[in-house]
Amino acid sequence: MLSVDSIDTYYGQSHILHDVSFEAGTNEVVALLGRNGAGKTTTMRSVMGLTPPRTGTIRFDGTDITGDAPSSIANRGIGYVPQDRRMFPEMTVEENLRMGLGKAPFDPDRMERLFERFPRVGERLDQRAGTLSGGEQQMVAMARALMRDPQLLLLDEPTEGLMPSLIPEIAEITQAIATAGYTIVIVEQNVDLVLDIADRIYLLQNGRIGETVTPEALEQNDAILEEYLGV
Amino acid sequence: MPTGEQILIAVLNGVTWGLIIALIALGLNLIFGLLKVVNLAHGSLYMLGAVGGWFVIGATGSFLVAAVVAPLAVGFLGMVIERVALRPIEEDIPTTLIATFALLIVLDQIGLLVFGPGTRSVSAPIQGSVTLAGITYPLYRLSVAVVSLGLMGALYLFLHRTRYGMWMRGVRQDLEMASALGIPRSQVYVVTFGLGAGLAALAGVLLSPIVGVNHLMGLDILAVAFIVVIVGGLGSLKGVLVASLVYALVENIGTLYITTVDARVLTLSLMIAFVIVRPDGLFEEGLG
Repeated sequence: MLSVDSIDTYYGQSHILHDVSFEAGTNEVVALLGRNGAGKTTTMRSVMGLTPPRTGTIRFDGTDITGDAPSSIANRGIGYVPQDRRMFPEMTVEENLRMGLGKAPFDPDRMERLFERFPRVGERLDQRAGTLSGGEQQMVAMARALMRDPQLLLLDEPTEGLMPSLIPEIAEITQAIATAGYTIVIVEQNVDLVLDIADRIYLLQNGRIGETVTPEALEQNDAILEEYLGV
Repeated sequence: MPTGEQILIAVLNGVTWGLIIALIALGLNLIFGLLKVVNLAHGSLYMLGAVGGWFVIGATGSFLVAAVVAPLAVGFLGMVIERVALRPIEEDIPTTLIATFALLIVLDQIGLLVFGPGTRSVSAPIQGSVTLAGITYPLYRLSVAVVSLGLMGALYLFLHRTRYGMWMRGVRQDLEMASALGIPRSQVYVVTFGLGAGLAALAGVLLSPIVGVNHLMGLDILAVAFIVVIVGGLGSLKGVLVASLVYALVENIGTLYITTVDARVLTLSLMIAFVIVRPDGLFEEGLG
């Protein structure tokens, strides 16, 4: 479904990603792990076309999407939950959700079904998104990305910056989405969550993919955990 | 001392004039709020509306047709300007300033070429007057005030009740995230510029029976439109409406007590003082 082949991405003159390649097959959950600054978020932004790679190829469903506009990439059926949630703070929760549709038609039944997974979002439809708590904003960001029923979901650190008491709830929702049959690429510092849901893990260090491992292999290899994650 | 009747006429003139300024400035603010382009050619689009309307009235004899055709044509021209002239330089704000200044000169010269020098009058489509509290006031001016208010209400509903309006507000709040969710930024920009241009042109048609038509009329209104946009708050529609009404009321009532020039000086001084005290303008929320 998603194939990233030897991409090199820069911020201005800074070379951030070096020859990064990875794949996510249909219904797979693939995780990118690494310390802060390893290039995980840049990889997500490269896929979305927000920081397009200078070299290399990104294919989605067999089509080369490298260099396409972010809106065109999203409208192919890719849902994106960014690292810092990126609410439209002056808009209501419902408007934030509708923004997630892009050009896709609004389906009220689908939105109602989403509220079964995100009941708190359904209760705050008329509230301004900027007034929500961090956890609530994370739920809105995830529901927003699911509004169009995406073929591929990019989740960038869903538990980052949340109160510790909220992390299990968001982790549980992430697990539920992962088992619902979505193809997911997830970036996450919460190793336990990743070990629970990922089919395959790519370990990033200094903008390069160092290792590709299964969750089972990673769990039993303290040396790799120490080298790539410092845990 | 002015009489009560004179004060009432000045208030009515102020409200009417303020609503017209707001209509012109709303387009300017819409464009600035979303595209971050300071459109120095906005007054020229207003002029083109009036000139275009004058030609349509001449050809069809219908003011109503002019009020539909001229804004649509200028709105379309605005879309072309955004796509062809501004899109390639949209990231470079100083260059867009130079480009829109160049457009101002080009459009005003086109106005001179097709319309010629001098001011020509346009007959008001609604004749007659109404008597209010002992004073007689032209019915057309009141109609313009009501139509302007209606248009502003329609714009507000468009921004808050339609999908396109929601996209426009979303793009303004977070362009990158809106794009990453699939909102077609390019399309939104083109439509916004077209809408702003169309509103300016419509104001030109509506105002032509009151002030006449000439190819330099855009220059007069441009400075006023910028002043109310800055005082109202860049990007804020509500702020533009309030600032326009205050501007026009102070100036119109001021002329009862001091000379016209002094009233203009007073109004501008008040606006400058306000901006010094509150540089972000009346409202900061934007597109609401």
